[in-house]
Amino acid sequence: MAAPTLDTVLTGLAQDEATGSLRVGKEGTVFYVRGRVAYVECAATPGVEELLGASGRISANGVRRARQETGAGGDGGALLVDRGVLSRGELEFSVLSATLDAAFFLLTSRTARTRFKEGDAHWLGIHWFFDVQGLLRECARRRARLERAWPSAELDARPVTPLRRIPGTHALLTRLQWELLLAADSTATPVELARRLGRPAYSTLLAVRELAAAGLVVTDETAALPKRTPKPLPPQPREPERSAPGLPQVNGDAADVNLLLRLRDALEAL
Amino acid sequence: MIGIEDCLSEAMSIPGALGAILVDHTSGMAVAGKGIPDPGRAAAGLSEAYRATLDGIAMASQETGFRIEDVIVTTGTAYHLVRPMEMMFDGPLLLCVCLDVERSNLALARRRLRTITDELVAS
Repeated sequence: MAAPTLDTVLTGLAQDEATGSLRVGKEGTVFYVRGRVAYVECAATPGVEELLGASGRISANGVRRARQETGAGGDGGALLVDRGVLSRGELEFSVLSATLDAAFFLLTSRTARTRFKEGDAHWLGIHWFFDVQGLLRECARRRARLERAWPSAELDARPVTPLRRIPGTHALLTRLQWELLLAADSTATPVELARRLGRPAYSTLLAVRELAAAGLVVTDETAALPKRTPKPLPPQPREPERSAPGLPQVNGDAADVNLLLRLRDALEAL
Repeated sequence: MIGIEDCLSEAMSIPGALGAILVDHTSGMAVAGKGIPDPGRAAAGLSEAYRATLDGIAMASQETGFRIEDVIVTTGTAYHLVRPMEMMFDGPLLLCVCLDVERSNLALARRRLRTITDELVAS
């Protein structure tokens, strides 16, 4: 019998109203509370701890201490709120945001090796719930959103390289896009930049794809352009005719005119 | 200090409120909603409307680095209020409220919305 897919395992635990943690390979963990998902961690995406650290609200050490103080089954999130590190609304949104970000990367994992640990809970406690189907639906919606922004995954795993010169004269950037362009060093991938900036990995992927759509980062097409440019033609024997003074110079090529005539004939024949 | 669910209940208690929804602007996701028939659709639309407003105002405005306090759209029957909240690391999170134009007071609604969002993100 083939190993069950990750979707099947996730749905099964939801039906069993399980409480505990599901390790998915080495990539991450899904935390269940009575069949609903309370938190997801993924090695590739920043968790609430990293997001908090990067925002400057609390040091990595502060997070470690809070974690130690929170005993088994404790509510580390409530502890952080009590200390004024963040508000309840911010905590809920951080958990929600980090969970969806992790789920987006973890739930596409091909690994079938999963291990469920009954009763295990995340140290932050329970601050938001997702039902498994809703989580999977949201992941699919986010994938579609990426495709709409720029319909190719070529940039997702490749170093972000801003163009030295932009095609137009103006560019309109969001805050994240600005930070990304400043941090991009032509070696870091979007997910690595997300970690460095303390931003959700999905937002970063989306921002990079939007930058590609705006023609501001190197994509396959722009990288290939120099190669595709034909070799310069040997100098033409005839000088281009000078146009009348005051009018722009025209360098008409007989081939272009022939093509236009053929095009016109074809259109008329329709 | 209030959480996400309380924030929506508070928004629905604004006189004339017909629906309220929290939208994650970056992903266009509906975080939670009350009185909104199709939250997914509403979130996508509101998120796009906010993006278009931002881009449009950015091009029209002389200010650099401006921020939007709120967006108000008046239709024949309703006011649509969108208030962005900057979150720690992502966002903004949009609190959007739809109000009956006959039964609501715009100035009051704006003030209430501001109080609610301040309570949600204030620590």
